[in-house]
Parts: sequence; structure tokens; C-alpha cells
Amino acid sequence: MKKPSKKSEIEYCKVCRLHHDHGSRHKYFPRHKYLLSTFLDRFRTKIADVRFFLKNPSVLRPQEQSQNRVWCVFCDEDIVELGSSFACSKAINHFASSDHLGNIKQFLSKNGPAMDCIDDFRITEANVAKWEKKCQSLGNEDASSFKGSCEQLSGTSNDIHNKLAFKTMDKIENVPAHHINVLPLQYNTNEYQISHSELPGVAHYGSYLNMDASHLPLRTDPPTNLPGNGFGKHSIPFRSKDYPSNQEEENKQIKGSYSSPVMTSISSSHSSDACGNVHSGAPPPWLDANDGNSSNVQLNQSDMSSFQAKIPGKTRKLNPNRVGAAWAERRKIEMEMEKRGHAMNSKVDADWLPNFGRVWQSGTRKESRKEFEKEKRKLIKTESISTESEPVEIQPYISKRARRESGENGSG
Amino acid sequence: MSSLLLKTLTKKEEIDRIIRDTIDEVLVLRFGRCTDTVCLQHDDILAKSVTDVSKFAKVALVDVDSEDVQVYVKYFDITWFPSTVFFFNAHHMKLDSGTADHTKWVGAFHIKQDFIDVVEVIYRGAMKGKMIVQCPVPPERIPKYNLLYKDV
Repeated sequence: MKKPSKKSEIEYCKVCRLHHDHGSRHKYFPRHKYLLSTFLDRFRTKIADVRFFLKNPSVLRPQEQSQNRVWCVFCDEDIVELGSSFACSKAINHFASSDHLGNIKQFLSKNGPAMDCIDDFRITEANVAKWEKKCQSLGNEDASSFKGSCEQLSGTSNDIHNKLAFKTMDKIENVPAHHINVLPLQYNTNEYQISHSELPGVAHYGSYLNMDASHLPLRTDPPTNLPGNGFGKHSIPFRSKDYPSNQEEENKQIKGSYSSPVMTSISSSHSSDACGNVHSGAPPPWLDANDGNSSNVQLNQSDMSSFQAKIPGKTRKLNPNRVGAAWAERRKIEMEMEKRGHAMNSKVDADWLPNFGRVWQSGTRKESRKEFEKEKRKLIKTESISTESEPVEIQPYISKRARRESGENGSG
Repeated sequence: MSSLLLKTLTKKEEIDRIIRDTIDEVLVLRFGRCTDTVCLQHDDILAKSVTDVSKFAKVALVDVDSEDVQVYVKYFDITWFPSTVFFFNAHHMKLDSGTADHTKWVGAFHIKQDFIDVVEVIYRGAMKGKMIVQCPVPPERIPKYNLLYKDV
């Protein structure tokens, strides 16, 4: 006997964003599990951003304080960095707090997966202590350079990652050129190359910099040609000799870019080879290489389609155990041969009968057919017997005496 | 009107051809007279449903008064009109509707949906390899009749 399911009160699930009366069973539903995983993944990315600033503390300028905010889904509150001097400082302190930990536990017990992922959503006090130390050391260094960088960069950016990039560039300014041989990558590669290419006809309008501070690999070798880029003629000047001059260019670039994001034009003479382009109607380069192959492929496809079209009915594989499957396959082949013009036995036997299970018959269907054919033969025999007998002529009765007398009269 | 949409067969050869040429589809053969009122009602239902089932079924009418067809009338033990016989890949499909005769559907369908349901059930059963299927029509809509054994 099944117990009737108890109807619990209507609750709101923050993860699924719907009201339900499933009670505590709701968290085991597959839809809820799926939505929970996406929900937590989103928050993990936010925490990852904050953790970045935990490892690389940076100064937060007043004008960007209102934009540097994080919504904590466990505590249902918005963490705004008003009055904080370092990026994400309030967020870091919040994620390290005991209230936040309590809220995480409550959330996971109500909604979610096991408690082993608690550490993904909080910051330990040890890490916070390290961060504070770094902030203190930063605070001493940046007191002088902070104002200078503010004047340079007039544009606003909503991306908190940009703050780190500004920070690194400020550092680069202060460090003498001969001390460093390498530079962190500040811009996305393509834009940087485009803006620094010295090809004829390139207009330095500045580049729209999508500064992603997460990409900060330190390069030891000056790259000569980056793959997949046709502008690799001029390498990125990561050499110490060229550094001072390029630094000025970089600054100019920065100024230009943040005041107005403008695309960099590409020289048409370089891009248009002798082969032509879309406007001239030239074929795309990937087809040129596969000229022979593509035509062959097309032919094969057409062959396949014609072959498939010949076979009537559905092209998908049918159940081989369906009723009359063997007969159907044979019949299909026969029909195909007939269509192709082969003289098959197209004339059906006049006595052909389909597979039929009769009403008043027990046994297999073959027996029913045999029985029917027997009956048919009997019927034919009786009919033939009746047709074979000549029609009897009705004659009047002549007695024996009369016949004898007529016979004597005839002989006498 | 129904004759415009549905083929009427009068010869054994035509019936043989249609049975042999219908591959991987249900073949519905109605045995009856076009003048009979119940047959007309039945034909109307068939004609209206033929497009709905066209992807997996074919429908044809057989004129019972034709001499050439009498061999099938006897072979299929048809005693009531209209009688509908179902085939799949030249194999006869039986339908258990709770009546005495499982080899055919005797009488007219009440509604279009009943016919479509029956054809669908037959198609599904045939694709699974079953030669006899359960009729999905509720008993109140199944025509009742008495089956006589050799006129007894």
C-alpha cells in the first residue's frame, strides 16, 4: 500500500525561481539539481574574480567604487565598495565572515548538494590576512604614483579587471627600462599588433582595448610572428632597446583608446592578394584547396540520394522483427529491379493468396490457406461435374409394348 | 464523394497488386457495397481519415458484388457488410475487439478518431512484430453482430 504523499506548504525555491509544494523532496528533483549547478557555477565565477583581487590587491579609485559591487546569493545582499580603498575589500571581508559561512550552510542544507563545496564559496581568514599584508605594502608604494595615473586615464571603465591593468602600467612607468627585459601582456594580442604595425596605409586611430587582466603571461622570448595573423611582419617590441620609445606610443594609445573606442583600419593592399576577395567574386580559400575533393563529395552525395530515392518508403532503419519484414525486403528488391527494367516475374500467379488466418480454423495460417484451396478444388470439381453432364431431354413415356409394336412395324 | 478519394477495386488482380505493393504500411480493405447505408457511413469515415493516416496506412474499397472478388469474400469469411480487413506487408493483422471475429472489423466506425486509433494500434503492433492487437475502441462503440457457422 502506497502512503499518500503529504502536501506541504508552498515554498519559494530561489534556485528554480518558482513556488512549489514538494517540501523537502524538491531539492532532489533533477531539474532543481541542474539549475542549482548552473546557479552555483555563476557564483563561483564571481568568487573567482574576488579571489583574483585577493591574490593581487589593487587600489580602488573613488569614481569606481560604486561600480565595484557583488551580490552575495547566500546572504541576499549587495556588497558595495563604498569607502574602501582597495578593490573588493568589503567583498573579501564579507566572504570571510562567519555570517556568510552560516548562510552558506543553511543554503546548502535547504537546496543543495553535499556540504563539501562550502570552501568554494568562502575565503579563509589566512588568505584574508595575507591580503591585508599585501594591501599595506601597496598602500605605502602607491601613495605617490596613484595621482599620476588618475590624470592620465580619463576614461571610465566598468570592468574591475581594468584596474589591475592600470596598476601594472603605472608600475611599468616607474621602473627603469634597462632593468626589465619582459613586459606583461597588457592588451589582447591582435589589437596590440594592429595598433603597432608599421605597414603603409595603417591609420593609427587607436585600438579598442578589451583589457583582460586575467591574461598576464610573462613572455621571455620576443615573438616574431604570431600564428594566424597576417600582420606578423613587425614583432611586438618587447626588447629592452625599443622599450622607452614604445612606452610613449603605448601611453598615447591608451589615451586615445579610453577617450573614444575606435577601430583600427587595416590596409587593403595587404589584405587583398592577387587571388581576389568576396567583392570581386573570388572563391573562398578553403574551397580552392579542396576543389577536387568537394566535387567528388558532391557526386557521392548525389549518388546516395538517388539510391535512397529509389528505395520507396522511409530511409531510416525499420525494425527487422516487424511483421512481414523478410517479405517486405524481398519485395522492395523486386520492385527496384522492375523499375530498372529487368524483366522479373512481374505476373502474379492468379491463385496467389495473402497470408490470412481464417475465422473457423485452428492451426497455422498456411493450413488455413491449404484448407481454402482444398475447398476451392472441391467446389471446382462439383461445378465441373455439373457442367460436364449433358442436358437431359424430357421425352414422353413410351411403353414396352408400344416400342415392340413400333419395332415390328418397322421390321415387317 | 468517398469514391473520389478512395480506390474501388473490382478484380482479384487489383487486390493482389495493392496488397503486394503496400510495403511497411497498413492496408485497410473495406468489403462492402457502395449502395448500402452503413457502408456509406463507413466510407465517409474512411475518406475523412485517409489523409490523417496517409503516412502509415493506405485505404481501399472492394466491391463485394464483383464476381472476381468472390474468392476473397470466401477466403476472408466475409458474411457481414461492411467488413474491414487489415494487412501489413501482405500479412493479415488480427484485431481483438471483444467480438467473435478477430480477423476483421465488422460494421461502421462511429467517429473518425476510432478508425485512426485502430489503424495506429495495428501499425504499432505490426512494427513490433505482433500479428494480433487489442482494439482501443471502447465497447459501446463496437458494432455487435452474431457470427453464424455455416448458416447455423
